[in-house]
Amino acid sequence: MITVDGQCLAAFVFGSTVGVLVQRSRWCNTAALRDAMLFKSYRNTKALLVAMMILTVGFTAMISFGNGNPMRFDVGINQFIGLFLFGIGMVFAGACTVSSWVKTGEGNIGALWALLFLIVGLFLSSLMWSFSYWPLAGQTMTGHSNAAGLQFGWADALTLQRDTGIPAIFFGLIQTAALYGLYWRILKRERATLAAEGKVPSSVAAPMAAGSPALAKTATDARDPSAALPTLGD
Amino acid sequence: MDFFKKSLDPIVALAIIAVFDIFLFQIVGAWTVGGGETMIAGLFVKALIGAKAMNRIPFWRMVFKPTWAYWKIYISLGMGFGALVSAILSKEFYWRVPKHLSEWVMITIGGLLMGIGIRLSFVCNVSTFLGLTPEMNLGGYLAVSGLVIGAWVGTWVYKKILEA
Repeated sequence: MITVDGQCLAAFVFGSTVGVLVQRSRWCNTAALRDAMLFKSYRNTKALLVAMMILTVGFTAMISFGNGNPMRFDVGINQFIGLFLFGIGMVFAGACTVSSWVKTGEGNIGALWALLFLIVGLFLSSLMWSFSYWPLAGQTMTGHSNAAGLQFGWADALTLQRDTGIPAIFFGLIQTAALYGLYWRILKRERATLAAEGKVPSSVAAPMAAGSPALAKTATDARDPSAALPTLGD
Repeated sequence: MDFFKKSLDPIVALAIIAVFDIFLFQIVGAWTVGGGETMIAGLFVKALIGAKAMNRIPFWRMVFKPTWAYWKIYISLGMGFGALVSAILSKEFYWRVPKHLSEWVMITIGGLLMGIGIRLSFVCNVSTFLGLTPEMNLGGYLAVSGLVIGAWVGTWVYKKILEA
């Protein structure tokens, strides 16, 4: 069993590695969704799907052997509503939770401002919890359905394995195949677009998303269609 | 130090992060950012208004007691630190300030909405895509649906603003 200090140290080492890799790759979750919708540019979307595939196999394999620490998290309507608001917010801010921290580390004051107001939003909405006690908090999630609290109990790979007796990895591989199907469709669409434009497909065909003309560092960045967006950048 | 001279393919970057995340999943839990940010918000406000006043707010007394001994905080701080080091080594660190008032307004509204969203759902975009969904939690599928629809609505509104 790892100590609290050990947990914090492991988290810091992991976070620092993420910071370096995201800074060098300029990956952003906002761009993964926004650029796919606005510009049919899938550079960040493909990376997200690859990570989801690796993690699905990894997590469900570990769960199959009784390892790992899956979140004990009840399914609730609050997750849909909360992430709906989050989705609007991240497009407006031009940054997700990851890129806000990474851009702040790069000296982007707009990203720091977004983080500051994320904290303000978090705190202000925490005051509302005083009046309604909704949604149910982590420790009050019982794992069972609670219609009054719009919670539907806990259901994930671990409960599937427990209820069916089939190892979680089996379900994980099905989900991975579905994610790969989506990835393959994107590749197919990209190839079709390149063929229509008479260009040779390359491994990194889509342009880098720089976000703001002011933030564009290279000529490639400057040509990026998403550079027209006057936000934080990705 | 060639690594800091050129861009990294995001697929490679995210694949490496995913492998490390599997180890983190074994040690403490999957990568998440919203939990750490919630705790940072609690610690930040506690420093401003004091422990006594903070304790009067049920959420911070019953759900998230502000403490520095919460591992998720260090993921967020680590990301900022790692990016700072990487930006300096790659000579990409420089102060960038949004130039237009409209950018400040959009960032402010966006930040507020992200904060409210995290508080309501107890998850963020990272734990949605790279935590709950790979764990096949049904809440993850609900959250992904909400996030994709929200991003679509946000993109549509943004497009209208840009066109105007």
